[in-house]
Amino acid sequence: MNEKMIHRHDKPAIFIHWFNAFCWIFLTLTGLGLIKNDQINPVGAWWPNLMRSIFGSGEMLLNFHIYIGLTWAVVFILYILFRFKDSMGFLKEAFSINPSRDASWLIKKNIQLTLGNGALRKMGMTTDIPAQGFYNAGQKLFAQLTIVAGIILTITGLIMYLSTMILDNPTPVAWSRTIHFLMAGLAFAGLLVHIYMAAISREEKPAFKSMFSGVVPEDYAKHHHELWYKEVKNKS
Amino acid sequence: MNKKYCMVIDSSVCIDCKACMVSCKVQHKVPRGYWRNWIKHSTPDFSLGKHTSMHFQPGGCMQCDNPTCVYACPSGATYKDEETGIIHVNEDLCIGCGNCVKACPYHARYRHPVKRVPDKCDFCRERLHMGLLPACVDTCPTKARTFGDRNDPDSEVSRLLKENETVRIVSRPVDTEPNMFYISSTMPMDWPGQVEYPAAHQAMTGFVNPLVKIAVGLSGLGVAAMFLKQLFTDDETSQDKEKEEV
Repeated sequence: MNEKMIHRHDKPAIFIHWFNAFCWIFLTLTGLGLIKNDQINPVGAWWPNLMRSIFGSGEMLLNFHIYIGLTWAVVFILYILFRFKDSMGFLKEAFSINPSRDASWLIKKNIQLTLGNGALRKMGMTTDIPAQGFYNAGQKLFAQLTIVAGIILTITGLIMYLSTMILDNPTPVAWSRTIHFLMAGLAFAGLLVHIYMAAISREEKPAFKSMFSGVVPEDYAKHHHELWYKEVKNKS
Repeated sequence: MNKKYCMVIDSSVCIDCKACMVSCKVQHKVPRGYWRNWIKHSTPDFSLGKHTSMHFQPGGCMQCDNPTCVYACPSGATYKDEETGIIHVNEDLCIGCGNCVKACPYHARYRHPVKRVPDKCDFCRERLHMGLLPACVDTCPTKARTFGDRNDPDSEVSRLLKENETVRIVSRPVDTEPNMFYISSTMPMDWPGQVEYPAAHQAMTGFVNPLVKIAVGLSGLGVAAMFLKQLFTDDETSQDKEKEEV
């Protein structure tokens, strides 16, 4: 198969994707271990106990969480500053919504992927899926979630980090803890779908490979990101 | 066997000299304006003329068996030591959210103005390690405070608890099961506040935690459904379907 390939991601974008992936997964796992309260423990007491054993103590776990979190924020902010145009392009792409097309895509794709085309027809819908741009509606939704979550997680994380150093009023810290958990939880819910789509689902295999190689087959681009494909073709 | 340290107080012999408060303050370098322990007093009824009296009541952290401060702590920084029954604060694990300070109906905690973490009575952990009594117990001139291990049947506190009727100062609406016992009776009794968890903590337990569980659960279900469907449709049929789409 000597398919023509189209450029999709450059090297810095691939780097920041995997850097994000490592940091977010690490921070999710350690963060979940930091919650140690029988009323809250989302998965039970065994997880915080396990994490504390792995890191030696709760204090070490907290330190790792704080400093990996700070490293993530600093590197990511530098990335945005040094690649300001690309980052703004990403923002524009992630937030350019076409309500009717995106809603239709989300509903149909969800039914198609879980119940199949038969179910779509039974519900009286056609099996044609609206054409998508550089990101499909699902990817955009996840991008929006991570952008909002990333900003809020950074701010609330900083508040908690600085709390015992400079903050005299503990109330913002208490709320930060609650909001930090909320955003991380929602981002994790999105991440499950994101990881499944990329690493396990058959259809999106080329997208997964492109996160290493930077290129996607022309055929894949035409089927999955038709609007983007046309844009690229028009340019060349 | 695990120890269960407690304090039995005969408040009728307290003379309100405040020596316990001073020695505590010196021992733990408690900052100005804050206290780890206290002496409360009843309101005198002056209409009784020469029979007017006041009752003094020494106190401090009650090292509760149903500790609302521990329940309010999100990180496990505030914990009840299984071996001693004493409630400690791990300052390095604390993020200074102040939940525990608000959750204590006895106001036994304060947020340290410099360290910005909660500080409270820990029955003088350092002194116990050296085999000494807590500073307040050691210094009390009338020996109103007695300290010891409730699990040791031969201890002074066990003897006092056996030989005397005791009362505890309980909070509402939950009984925090305090480990501070007052011999026969004491005054005042109605000073503890309501057990109230801060709004941020209530939002966490009542709303955010269930919401996150539902979101992750739904997302997990969706992924499982997609995976099962992929598992039971072989490559070829899905290829066909793709063609069909186009």
